[in-house]
Amino acid sequence: MNPNDSDASRFRSATADRRGERDLDDLLIHVARGDQAAFEALYDRMAGPVYGVIRRVLRDPSQSEEVAQEVLLEVWRSAARFDPAMGGAATWMTTIAHRRAIDRVRSTTAAAGREQKTADVSPPHDEVAEAVEASLDRERVRRCLDSLTEIQRESITLAYYGGHSYRQVAELLNVTLGAIKTRIRDGLIRMRDCLGVN
Amino acid sequence: MRFFRQDLHALTGAYALDALDPGTELTRFNGHLDRCPSCAGEVRGFREVATAMAFAATTEPPPELRDQVMAAVARTRQLPPEVRTHARPRRTRSAAPWLPWLSGAIATAAIAVAVFFGFAQAHTRSELDQARAQNQALAAAQARVEAALSQAREHDQALAEILGAPHVTLLSQRTTTGGVAVVVLDAATRKLVVATSGLPALPAGQVYQLWLIGPVRIVSAGLLPTAQAGVTTPVVAAGIVKGDKLGLTVEPAPGTTQPTTTPILALPLPV
Repeated sequence: MNPNDSDASRFRSATADRRGERDLDDLLIHVARGDQAAFEALYDRMAGPVYGVIRRVLRDPSQSEEVAQEVLLEVWRSAARFDPAMGGAATWMTTIAHRRAIDRVRSTTAAAGREQKTADVSPPHDEVAEAVEASLDRERVRRCLDSLTEIQRESITLAYYGGHSYRQVAELLNVTLGAIKTRIRDGLIRMRDCLGVN
Repeated sequence: MRFFRQDLHALTGAYALDALDPGTELTRFNGHLDRCPSCAGEVRGFREVATAMAFAATTEPPPELRDQVMAAVARTRQLPPEVRTHARPRRTRSAAPWLPWLSGAIATAAIAVAVFFGFAQAHTRSELDQARAQNQALAAAQARVEAALSQAREHDQALAEILGAPHVTLLSQRTTTGGVAVVVLDAATRKLVVATSGLPALPAGQVYQLWLIGPVRIVSAGLLPTAQAGVTTPVVAAGIVKGDKLGLTVEPAPGTTQPTTTPILALPLPV
């Protein structure tokens, strides 16, 4: 059996169980009709990944909390604009979260605070390790990241978790822009296959 | 040309990780996505990977966040769904710079810079940084505009919504009599925020009036407030329809129902 196949199917079942993509879509559709109880259920399922990805990018806990609050409120406000045809609720919400974190990075006031904080904050994997319920996702993502070449892995993590633009990544890794674009794309193709994303 | 297209195609990965700088490259890539279904499919798949990475980063938020969010939810009106009158207009297409992630703080900063320089020149973060670094006065001007904006946001839900919208367009144009209008357009809700800088002061008894000028009707969008230090505080206009331009005329106080003079500004609004 191809190890990638088993990884893929296990990822699917694990995430389908825990994430329950269809359920999340349904919840969001109820939220769009003003159902606050549905929003509370959605919060309980999604606040961890939303806060987690923001925290990973921004590092500073109080800024992360602020941005997470903005994002979750945005989800409430814009729920009617969610289009399941464009991807699932989890993807919609984590995309908003990541973009808002990036917005914050790119606004200079935050940039100053972030640089200051990076010096005295321990590496973010410590916080991630505390999130027991995410261990399955984390394990699979880690394994798939490990299957990449070093430069693919570094460019993807610097871009996504580090919140750097691909130009900054090229600068950091001392690689040409053309090469970095290709490495990110090739790495994501491998991640996609490894995670069993259709 | 072939090389150029392949070059753009290779950006699917960086795009899916939100790693393109806002600006011309992102605008071009968005244009390319509209014409390239295979790229759009690839981006969707990559976003799933990004979602898995977000889940892998799951961190328990501080317990008070839940109460804060629920309290905010209880007092926040939801946006209505987009009603599609014709085939799925997913994205505004226009010659205007389209800045998908321009929101909140960046929109505010861009307005401030645009107002200060008299035109919307600084569209990217690095341009904003550069401009700020070169100019102490700009930082002060920005602080002033930001303070005015944040005060206005508290009193004006519509303004807060537009400046917080996920997708907005920044537009600007000089008027024929001098000065500039800077517009943050939220095509999704068909609303805009407009601020001006450097418009000639008017004699007593005259006002600047905003209009939405469409092919079949012209409606007033309100008066510009009196300028302070050359800058008018942002005002919100709603009810934009396809084909509308934002017009500005000089009218006798307290404004008129239809324009009586030639517009000094007619800025096309891509909705």
